[in-house]
Amino acid sequence: MIGLWRAEHWGYRALFLGLAVLVLFIRLLPLGGDPGAFPGPDLMLCLIMAWVMRRPDFMPVGLVVLVVLVEDLILLRPPGLWTALVVLATEFIRSRAALTRELNFVVEWLLVTGLMVAMLLTYRLVFALALLPQPGFGYAVVQVLWSAVAYPFVVGASRLVLDLRKPATGETDDYGRRL
Amino acid sequence: MAKIRTGPEEYSRPLRRLLVGLLVLLLLGLFLLWRIDSPRVERFRAALVDAVVPNMEWALVPVRKAMGMVEDFQSYTRIYEQNQELKRELQKMIAWKEAARQLGEQNARLLDLNKVRLDPQLTFITGQVLADSGSPFRQSVLLNVGARDGIRDGWACMDGLGFVGRISGVGERTSRVILVTDSNSRIPVTVQPAGQKALLSGDNSPLPLLEFVETADEVAPGDRVVTSGDGGVLPAGLLVGQVVRGADKRLRVVLSADYQRLEFLRVLRSHELEPLTDPGGLVAPPLLPSTPSAEVDDEGAAAAPPVEGGGDVGDAGSGDAEGQGAGAGGD
Repeated sequence: MIGLWRAEHWGYRALFLGLAVLVLFIRLLPLGGDPGAFPGPDLMLCLIMAWVMRRPDFMPVGLVVLVVLVEDLILLRPPGLWTALVVLATEFIRSRAALTRELNFVVEWLLVTGLMVAMLLTYRLVFALALLPQPGFGYAVVQVLWSAVAYPFVVGASRLVLDLRKPATGETDDYGRRL
Repeated sequence: MAKIRTGPEEYSRPLRRLLVGLLVLLLLGLFLLWRIDSPRVERFRAALVDAVVPNMEWALVPVRKAMGMVEDFQSYTRIYEQNQELKRELQKMIAWKEAARQLGEQNARLLDLNKVRLDPQLTFITGQVLADSGSPFRQSVLLNVGARDGIRDGWACMDGLGFVGRISGVGERTSRVILVTDSNSRIPVTVQPAGQKALLSGDNSPLPLLEFVETADEVAPGDRVVTSGDGGVLPAGLLVGQVVRGADKRLRVVLSADYQRLEFLRVLRSHELEPLTDPGGLVAPPLLPSTPSAEVDDEGAAAAPPVEGGGDVGDAGSGDAEGQGAGAGGD
């Protein structure tokens, strides 16, 4: 458990927090947002998925909940529902860390896309059950497709710029422990 | 610590699963709470947005400004297109302006001719220019019509286009016309769109000066200048020319009359205004039918002047008689 307090972890966590704030900030900018325009990718979701897939130990549940709940509140979504779905999805990935560590990227991509679609469907199903008005299905699907397209770029950027990658087999940390 | 830290068992420990499950339930509960008691959650959301978003203002403002600059730049790139469009439009407008000017000139000429024909008091005598005695000091021409043709001093002379000058000196068979450009010529004029009264004073240059303009700001180059008829010598409304700004920055008039070719001039018969000698009769209520004879007298007197024509004495006499008759009727 001492490893939890290592500087590298907290550095990456702070980095994730900063990236989340940046994404939120970009969403808040008065750019575009024309009524009728198709939505762009959900970068926050891509970021969370990619990071949890790479290093689940950098992404404690509390951090995910904090970031997504704040996003829920600030972007005027119904609070809690999307956060719950994201937590479930990250836990799904997290519990399969040993499996996903062996997967190549294409399979990982397919897995993430499937998760996104499942999240969308659940989200809309809950909306329908709660009798909430929701945007057209086409718009939502377009956003999921954009997110799926953006996912490799988010992964690539994290890999190249932030040096975030899956630990290789037999790789050890600074203290000589196996990852 | 020898445990594999990223192994699945670390994340699937029962306690952790329980906590995560509770967390998800909590979040779903929050959603349900929002769905049931929306105002309270929305107040919290508003408070959060209030706390967070204004703090980002310092970062939002420059980005917004930058985006505005980008948009401005995009509009700059369209300037060339707009310029071309405006140039085309301007060319069209110039053609229209030329047409309008020609029409205006034609209209003025027609109006002028119209006046000459319609007003029975403004008949004209056409005379031929005998001699052009132009010199640096005198701008005048001699006409081959004179006192035997009924020409009198002060009558206006026009060529087909505009006002030329007035008679100044009548002989038995000739008369002298002093032109507008003469340094002795002072013509009361009106500058037309604004209706500004001014005095056109010749200075021996081809463009006489426009002096004593009431409000010089309202007079622009291109305005029409017509005679105003002030002073009672010249009839009103004869086209004189157009206002221009001379090389000395003073307002001058380009004359409509063709001074290069003064061959025939029309001398307009204008009649002296009747001098007002009577201070005005008593304004009385309508007359009773008890004095019908005075009414008849009045009508006869009023009808008399047009029949008599240009008889000055007769006009004055009838006017006098009318005034007296009215006074008598009032009594």
